[in-house]
Amino acid sequence: MIPSLKMRHLKERWFKRAGLISLCFALLFLGCVLADIIYKGYPAFFRTEIASNVGYSLFLNPHASYHTEKPWVVASDDVDLYFKSGHKGKLTPKQIQMIKELERQNQIRLSFNTNFFLASDSREPELAGIWGGIIGSFLTLLITFITAFPLGVGTALYLEEFAPRNRLTHWVEANINNLAAVPSILFGLLGLVFFIHFMGLPRPSALVGGLTLGLMSLPVIVVTTRVALSSVQQTLKEAALGLGATHLQVLFHHVIPAALPGIMTGVILSLARALGETAPLLMIGMVAFIATPPSGILDPTTVLPVQIFNWSRSPELGFVENTSGAILILLVMLMLLNCIAVFIRKRFET
Amino acid sequence: MAPKINIKQLNLFYGDKQALFNVSLTLPAFQTTALIGPSGCGKSSFLRCLNRMNDIIPNIHLEGQVLLEGQDIYAPSVDVVALRTRVGMVFQKPNPFPRSIYENVAYGPRIHSLFKTKAQLDNIVENSLIRAGLWGEVKDRLSQPATRLSGGQQQRLCIARAIAVNPEVILMDEPCSALDPIATAKVEELIDELREKFTIVIVTHNLQQAARVSQQTAFFHSGYLVEAGETGALFTMPEDERTQGYITGRYG
Repeated sequence: MIPSLKMRHLKERWFKRAGLISLCFALLFLGCVLADIIYKGYPAFFRTEIASNVGYSLFLNPHASYHTEKPWVVASDDVDLYFKSGHKGKLTPKQIQMIKELERQNQIRLSFNTNFFLASDSREPELAGIWGGIIGSFLTLLITFITAFPLGVGTALYLEEFAPRNRLTHWVEANINNLAAVPSILFGLLGLVFFIHFMGLPRPSALVGGLTLGLMSLPVIVVTTRVALSSVQQTLKEAALGLGATHLQVLFHHVIPAALPGIMTGVILSLARALGETAPLLMIGMVAFIATPPSGILDPTTVLPVQIFNWSRSPELGFVENTSGAILILLVMLMLLNCIAVFIRKRFET
Repeated sequence: MAPKINIKQLNLFYGDKQALFNVSLTLPAFQTTALIGPSGCGKSSFLRCLNRMNDIIPNIHLEGQVLLEGQDIYAPSVDVVALRTRVGMVFQKPNPFPRSIYENVAYGPRIHSLFKTKAQLDNIVENSLIRAGLWGEVKDRLSQPATRLSGGQQQRLCIARAIAVNPEVILMDEPCSALDPIATAKVEELIDELREKFTIVIVTHNLQQAARVSQQTAFFHSGYLVEAGETGALFTMPEDERTQGYITGRYG
């Protein structure tokens, strides 16, 4: 019997246990955050409506135009909040009495809040929706993809396959690696100076936002693409070279197809990061309140995370559930992007 | 036999480190030349000089001449792509492309446009697989991924892929080192058959293999070509005592 053997096994068991404990902690925190967001956010997908023939105009939102033929109309945020959670807010006892009366007569109800998905931002929580943010995010991400994907992959291809190995390229490589770790707000500053002040592009537009996020994604795409390219087996390249393929043919027939899952995963994950990015967009003025969805890349635009940021700062209590609801939608979008990345990796990996 | 490749005073440097010293060797046409020697002796480096596979390594520097039918393959006028269609290569580890069996063999003819019709390409693929002794085993599953074949089959597929572009010389870098004895025997048999049409150069660590498949053997040691000659003579009556030591197993 080796004397230290028992101790060595014991150490291994403890190491495993420590890992398990940290995993449990991570899951616990994740669970708490998700539970909190879902608990706070799911009421945002429902809204309180009052039968229009009741005529308690004080409960109706004064800014919305109501048609009398509509049987149900949207209740104001205070009523909505009280009806959902019992929070009294600014309601007087008499008003609360009225709501209870309505409830008894089935003149007040909760229904699915289509408005939350189809409307754009508003000063009124019960009328605000995320459609503008979603369209803005989509356009911005599209610009990011169009700029960062070809530039990033092209840069990585050149650096990995064609660039001479000298001091200059080493210096460039080191800086790209550093840029991938630079705080995103600095890219916002760069976007502000270059795209807005220097190039004079319109301020809170999807074009400027997308270009700025493209700048931010570029180093990450370069780094992940290079890793994917360099992990392609040398023997595969040699096989093609040995048959008399040119360097370009080796690249396009063998190296890029083999590296594609890795490249696409990197690109999609950096797009997912860009989708959730807020700070650089605040820097370039996308923080403005925009109540209509953009119809082009030059229109004033807001994106989902910025909208969430704006709502979270809003003093009105009704925006609390809207904030969490929008976060839920953003999380679902991010999860979808990640699922696409996983799918692509599994699909192309043979 | 007429010389196919003539190597004159070849010196090879990786950066400052010299890997080959004044190597001169003649490779006769339609014969198999075996390159033997201990690991790191430069035999693989030498092999890779013959189709300029070393070109892809940075900081490499080469002096001397490699004459393929009298023409220096390192002359500026030589196109390395054209050279590699004349001097094919089979590697140590079977390295089929992650494509179908058919596409593996068809790849070379495709990139060099060696056919006009699909029927011609089918013909090239079939003939190459027949010559590589693989046709019978794969003819019913040409569209299957090549990576599903066994190691020995993959290596014969790589040989079929190399001969599909109809080279004059085939370089083999330890082609059997990753194969089991049965697959090795098949590849060795194949090498013997291929000698009718091609000039073959094979690097091997297996001395019996060198004795079995080659007509000429060259012994490398520390970057020097110590001795080269007719295989039977070299194995029975080596002139140099280093050769003697290596083939009798005293070091290696």
